[in-house]
Amino acid sequence: MNRIPLRAWVGLLLLVGLGALSLVAGRLFPEALAHTCPLGWDLNRPDRSVCELAFGGLWVSLAVGLAAGALSTVLGLGVAALARLSGGVTEQVLLRAVDAVFALPDVLVVMVLQLAGQSLMDAGMGGGLGPFGLMVTSLALVGWAGPARMFRDRLATLEGQEYVAAARALGGGGPHVLRVHLWPMLRPFVLAVFLSRLPNAILTESTVSFFGIARMEPMSLGRYLGTSYAALIYEGGGRVVIPAWGLLVLLVLGASLASQALGGGTRRQV
Amino acid sequence: MRLIATRLARQLVLVPVVAVASYFLMAALPLTTESDTKRQVSPELAASYQRDLGIGEPFGILRPWQKLFAGERLGTSAQGITGDELLQKLSGSVGVGLVALPLALAWALGFALLRTRWRRGRWAVLGDALPAIAFGTPVFIPALLLAPSVVERGHLLPELCAAVVIAIWPGTFLGTLVGDALETELSRDYVRTALSKGLDPGTVLRRHVLPNVWPALLDAVTPVATALLAGSFAAERVFGLPYFGQLYVLAVLNKQVAVVVVSTTTFATVLVAVSLTVELLRVLVDPRAREARA
Repeated sequence: MNRIPLRAWVGLLLLVGLGALSLVAGRLFPEALAHTCPLGWDLNRPDRSVCELAFGGLWVSLAVGLAAGALSTVLGLGVAALARLSGGVTEQVLLRAVDAVFALPDVLVVMVLQLAGQSLMDAGMGGGLGPFGLMVTSLALVGWAGPARMFRDRLATLEGQEYVAAARALGGGGPHVLRVHLWPMLRPFVLAVFLSRLPNAILTESTVSFFGIARMEPMSLGRYLGTSYAALIYEGGGRVVIPAWGLLVLLVLGASLASQALGGGTRRQV
Repeated sequence: MRLIATRLARQLVLVPVVAVASYFLMAALPLTTESDTKRQVSPELAASYQRDLGIGEPFGILRPWQKLFAGERLGTSAQGITGDELLQKLSGSVGVGLVALPLALAWALGFALLRTRWRRGRWAVLGDALPAIAFGTPVFIPALLLAPSVVERGHLLPELCAAVVIAIWPGTFLGTLVGDALETELSRDYVRTALSKGLDPGTVLRRHVLPNVWPALLDAVTPVATALLAGSFAAERVFGLPYFGQLYVLAVLNKQVAVVVVSTTTFATVLVAVSLTVELLRVLVDPRAREARA
């Protein structure tokens, strides 16, 4: 308990609070929200209040971010573990693949993957993957490279510790050392990396949804903002855009605070 | 030299990898199905997609490039594009990015200096709050807020506004990095020695500290250049600028598969060129980099 820095607690509390708020306001009691929303009705969707769209969008964005962040962290961890266990040429090839994926901009690749996935779904070959699953998969396929590189570097550093050398000298194999000795030291860092993926996933999803490429329904924050051009032109936009923007900033702020604090905390422990 | 050649090869290999991957991904799309209810495109359109990608032809993978170099139109509808038009649109986006880069660097340097000054004062919280707000703000939000003045009323130049909005995130990111590097350098002994010998703080900063901060800045320029170019997609869409980002988004929305293949590869080539330029700049600016490569 005492090891977790205050900033991490603030970030985690912010995330949990926003999640709870979006669950209560956007999912459980949307009617109550619709009647009490001080921001009025949306111009493009006159049947929905701005609060319903903002908190409903927050719920979708948070769900996409959590799922995509978790999947890309697991993929990155798998690639990093494979690279360290195999070593030699395989590790070099994997690292070059990581560099190649890392060099490409997320938004562009996610757009191409959305195009491919939607074509497959339209042809009935989506394998039960809906728009939500397609977005999560696209984000994970783009986002694994960063975590893979970070985990690989962290594993290489941890392997230089004396207790790992001692375990190896006593006959411990690669998978045993990884599971018993390295994983407990890596766990807090995995959480930090997962939280650092969350803002990336949310912002990339928002941008792609803003372009109108993703077909998610209910709308995420990005897609909601993408449809608010008319409100901006006629009203100046403050009533419609600023609440959703504020929620997006708070979401990213919570994830960044927790990730930075936990990442720094684990560095000090190693 | 060997290290530079290795890095060069690693970067250059990205272009054919992207070309092949994007081609086969597009070629594998089920653009036609046997069922009428699930058909996405008409048979005529599907046939033209196949022609565009050279599917079923020997060396069909080269077909989009042959059309591009022959000056023929890629794509099957009004969004089809020739090589010359593609280059023109790309130059527009790169131009916006080139205006945004100095803006981002100026903002980064200014923010880093302010953050260093704020560190010990009551404004310290701003040094943390500004990056949090910038990192949580996708490019399209400031673009949307400016859009009524730019697009509807024509009060401001769309290109300049696009450059300003896409420079916010990279500028803040660079500013945070440079701020950290500045703080580390300012706490070193040589700074204390220089100050104790009577040099004014401005001179110490300009002549002693900043040359040691440039390498940290250059390390971050490649991801920033990527962010600038990718960010221009959203800004161009909002401000209605008819450049590369707009072309790319429309190509994806309209399933212009040949245009997507060629545009993706062109974009990867630009990124590689930026990365190599930064690498060369780093060798020129940082003596330690030259020594490491000797």
